[in-house]
Amino acid sequence: MAGLVRRHGMWVAAFAVMLVLPWIFQTGFAITMLNQIGVLIVFSLAYNMLLGQGGMLSFGHALYFGIAGYFTAHFLNGVGEDWLPYFPVTLLPIFGGLIGLFFGIGIGFVSTRRAGTVFAMISLGFAEMATALTLILVVFFNGEEGIQTDRMVGPEPLGITFGPDIHVYYLISFWCLVATAAMYVLTRTPFGRMSNAVRDNPERVEFVGYSTHRIRWLAFALSSFFAGLAGALHALNFEHVGFETIGLEQSGLALFMVWIGGARNFVGPILGAILITYLNSNLSDITDAWYLYLGILFMVIVMFTQGGLSGLVFMHEPIWKTDYRLFGRMMAPYALGIGSTIIAAIGVIGMFEMIYFLSTRVTEETIAVLYWMEVDAASALPWIACAAITAPGVAACRRTYPPMANSYNEAIAAVKGRMAP
Amino acid sequence: MEVLVFSIFNGLLYGMLLFMLASGLTLIFSLMGVLNFAHASFFMLGAYFAYQISGFIGFWPGLVFAPLIVGVIGAAVERYGLRPVHKFGHVAELLFTFGLAFVIEEVVQMIWGKVPVPYDIPETMNVAAFTWRGLDYSAYRLFMLGASVAIFLALFVFIAKTRTGLIIQAALTHPNIVSSLGHDVGKIFMWTFGFGCALAGVAGVIGGNVLGTEPSMAITLGPIVFVVIVIGGLGSLWGALIAALFIGIMDNLSISYDLSLYPVLALFGVEREVEGIMQDLVNLTTAGLAPVLPYLFLVLMLILRPRGLFGTRDV
Amino acid sequence: MKTPAVELRGVWKNFGNTEIIRGIDLAIEKDTIHAMIGPNGAGKSTIYNLITGRYHVDRGQILLNGEEITNQTPHEINRKGISRSFQVTNIFHRMSVFENIRCGMLWHRNYKYSFWNFLGRQGELNRRTEEIMVRTGLASRRDVLAGMLSYSDQRALEIAITLASGADVIMLDEPTSGMSHGETEQTVELIRKVARDKTLVIVEHDMGVVFDLAHTISVLVYGEIIACDVPQRIRGDRAVQEAYLGTEVA
Repeated sequence: MAGLVRRHGMWVAAFAVMLVLPWIFQTGFAITMLNQIGVLIVFSLAYNMLLGQGGMLSFGHALYFGIAGYFTAHFLNGVGEDWLPYFPVTLLPIFGGLIGLFFGIGIGFVSTRRAGTVFAMISLGFAEMATALTLILVVFFNGEEGIQTDRMVGPEPLGITFGPDIHVYYLISFWCLVATAAMYVLTRTPFGRMSNAVRDNPERVEFVGYSTHRIRWLAFALSSFFAGLAGALHALNFEHVGFETIGLEQSGLALFMVWIGGARNFVGPILGAILITYLNSNLSDITDAWYLYLGILFMVIVMFTQGGLSGLVFMHEPIWKTDYRLFGRMMAPYALGIGSTIIAAIGVIGMFEMIYFLSTRVTEETIAVLYWMEVDAASALPWIACAAITAPGVAACRRTYPPMANSYNEAIAAVKGRMAP
Repeated sequence: MEVLVFSIFNGLLYGMLLFMLASGLTLIFSLMGVLNFAHASFFMLGAYFAYQISGFIGFWPGLVFAPLIVGVIGAAVERYGLRPVHKFGHVAELLFTFGLAFVIEEVVQMIWGKVPVPYDIPETMNVAAFTWRGLDYSAYRLFMLGASVAIFLALFVFIAKTRTGLIIQAALTHPNIVSSLGHDVGKIFMWTFGFGCALAGVAGVIGGNVLGTEPSMAITLGPIVFVVIVIGGLGSLWGALIAALFIGIMDNLSISYDLSLYPVLALFGVEREVEGIMQDLVNLTTAGLAPVLPYLFLVLMLILRPRGLFGTRDV
Repeated sequence: MKTPAVELRGVWKNFGNTEIIRGIDLAIEKDTIHAMIGPNGAGKSTIYNLITGRYHVDRGQILLNGEEITNQTPHEINRKGISRSFQVTNIFHRMSVFENIRCGMLWHRNYKYSFWNFLGRQGELNRRTEEIMVRTGLASRRDVLAGMLSYSDQRALEIAITLASGADVIMLDEPTSGMSHGETEQTVELIRKVARDKTLVIVEHDMGVVFDLAHTISVLVYGEIIACDVPQRIRGDRAVQEAYLGTEVA
C-alpha cells in the first residue's frame, strides 16, 4: 500500500479527490458541472494526443466524439426498446470508443498523410461534411433536435440505476480516471515517443525507420477511440446528443481548452477543461460577452506563450527545484505586473460590457449593472471612468512587464549558475 | 432549358464570389504559408461595413470604403498580430487566425446583434435587367457578375505586370523563394495580407446583400473557400477559379433541379417504402445533398489526386 | 568478387532542366570506409539523398548488398540497413538527448509501432541508449532538451542518432563541420571505432580527416566521379589535383 502511494502518488490522490468531490460540492448544479468536466477532460486529452503529442491541429475531432454519442444513444434506445440484446451501461463507453476508433481508422488514413495546415484543412472538411449530413440523414441524426435517450435500462446491480446524476458522476469519473491513465501510459510507449518525434521533425523520423504516415494514422485512430469514449459519456450524461456535438464548435472548444490549459504537458488539457467548463458554467449567465473574453484570452495565449497556462506554471519548475528562495526577488515584479493586468482588464471589460448592453437591449432602458453598480450606459461618465481605469492600467502593464520578465530571467540564470560544475 | 441557363448564370455568380475569397486566400497562403482561417470573417466585415456606410452615404461609397477599411484592418492584423506569432510556426499562425475568426464573430454580434441586418440591394438596381421566357433577371446580379469579372481581370493584370505581382508569381510556384528576398519582405507580407482581406471585403460588399448579412455568414462560407483552394490545387489561381466556378454551378444546379436519388437506389432493388436508416437514402434529393457535395469532392480529390486540379505541390 | 555494400549503376538526377548527377557508377566494398570529396555543389549531398530515398532517381539503379533499393521510401531503406546523418543538424528539438538517441534505436530493436511496451521498463534498450550516449560524449547532457544544446553537442547528437540504429551501412554528411580541433579528433576516433565492422561512407571537407580515415576515396566534380581510388593514388592523381585539390595537398 505504501509502495503504491509512493510510486503512483498522483493517481491515488486523483482517485481520492474523485471519491470526495461530490461530498464537497453537493448541489445539483455542481454535480452537473463536475460531470461535464469529466467528459471534457477525456475529450481534451484525446484532442491533445493529436495536437500536443503528435503535432496535428484538427478542426474536426468532435466528429468522433459526436458520432460515438449518436451511436451510444441509439444503442441505449435499442436496448430499451428490446430490439438489441442487453449490454451493461457501465461498459458503454468502450462501445463508444470502438465507434470512434472505427471512424478514426477510416478517415485517419486519408487525412494523416500530411500534418500542419493541410491536415487542419482536411479535418475541417470532414467536420463540415458530417455537420451537413446531420441535417440530411434525418432518421439517424434527427436534424437539429438530436436524439433523446434513457440511460436507465436493464437490471440494476447493487441498486445502481444511473437515474440520479450522482450515479453518473461515479461512472464518468471512473472512466475519466481510466482513460486519463491509459493516455498517460501511451505517452510512455514507443508509439508515444515516436509520435512526439513526428511532431518535432517528421523528416528525420523517416530516416530512423518509421513511416510518418503510419505513426500519425495510429495516433489519430487511438485519439479517436478516446474521443469516442468521451462522446459515449456525454450521451450518458445528458441523455441527449445534438448535432452541435459533431461540428466545428465542439472541436473549437477542445482546441481552446487544450491550448489555454497548455498543449505541451500532460496536465495542461485537464487544467484547461476544468477552468473553461467552470468559467463557462458560471460566467455565461452573468455576461453575454463571455465568449468574446474567451476568444481574446485564447489569442493572447497564442501570441505570447506556446505552453498555455500550465506552461507558465511549469517554466518556474527549475527555480522551485533548485531553491524556492529565489522566488523572493520575483514577488514584487510579479505582483506589479499581474496587478496592472487586472486593472487594465477591469477597464476594458467595463467598456465591452456597456457596448454589449447597448447593442443587445430590447428596451430603451440605458441603466446597466456594471461591477455591482448601476450606471447609465448612455451617459459619458461610465465611459470616462472605464477609460480612466484602462489607460493607466495599460501604461502600467508596459512599465511592469519588462521587470517581470527580467526577474524571471535572473532567477533562471541563477539556477543555471548553480547547476554548472 | 431556362432553368438550366439561369442556374448556370447564378452558379457563375456564386463561383465568382467564391473565387474572390479563394484568390486572396491562395495569395496569402502561397506567399506566407499562412492559412488564414479568418478570411471569410473579413468577407463578413466587408458586408457589415457596407451596410453601415450605405446607411449613411449610400451603396457606391460603401463599395469603395468598406473594402479599404477591411484591407487596412487586415494589414494591421498582419503587422501587429500575425507577425509576432510567425516565429512559432505555421500551426501557431493558423491558431491565431482561428482565434481571430472567433473574436470577429463575437465582436460583430456585439455591435450589430445576433440577427441578420437589413443590408439591401440598392434601389436603383433592384429592377429586372431583362426578362427571358417569363423569368426576371435582376440588374444587381448583372452588376455583381460584371464587378467580379472586372476584379478578376484587374487581379491578373496586377500579378502579371507589377513588381509585387512578380514576387507573388514566384511565390506561387516556389514557396521558399520569398525567404531569400530582400529586407522589404515584411512590407510585402503586410500588404498582400491586407490586399487579400480587401478582396474578401469586396466580395462581402457585393455579396452580403444577396447572401444575407448575419454573424454566421463567415463560418458558413469559410470552409467552402478552403475546399475551393484544395480542389483547385494550393498555389494555383487558375485552379482556384475553375474550382470556384465548378462548385458554384454545381451547387445551383443541384438545388434548382432537385432530383431524387431514388432511381439510383431502385437499380439496387431498394423498395420505395422502407423503414429505418434506409428511409434517409430513399428520401435523398440533390438539393438536400448540395451542402455536402463540396466536401465530398474534397475527400474524393484527396484520395484520387492529392495535389488538386492544377496544383504543383502535393497536399 | 564480393558483393559491394552499396552500389550505384548509371545514376542520373535532374532538377528541372539542370543535371545535378550525371551517370554515377560507384561500388563501396563491405566493411570499408569510403570518403566522398569534391567542391561545393558537386552533388555529394544529392548522392546521399538519392541513396537514402530522400530524392527520386531519374535513371539508374541503387543496390544495397546486391538488392535493389532504387526509389524506395526513406524508412524502407533505413530498415534495410542504411543509416545517415545530415549536414544541417536534423534532430528532435523538444525531446531530451536520451530520448533522441532512443528514437533512433526503437525500430531496429523491433519495437515498431508498439503501444503496449512501457519504455521505462525496457532495460536492454535503455542500457544501449546510455552506452551510445557515453560513446558520443553526451552522457553529461542526458536530460537536456536537444534544442538547448550547443552547436557542437547537436552535431554529436546527430551522429549519435545515426549510430543508434546499429545499421551495417553508416553514411555521415560532414560530421565534423563546425567542431573545434579537439572535438574533431574525438569524433574521428569515434568514427574509427564505430566503423570497425561496418561500412562507412563519409562526406567531409577536412582533408586531414579524409586521408586519415578513408580506405577509398571518390572525387565528385559537377555530378560526375572523376576519380575513385585508394588515398595514396588520389593524392597523386593529376586530374584530381587540377579539378579540386589544387595546392592544398601538394
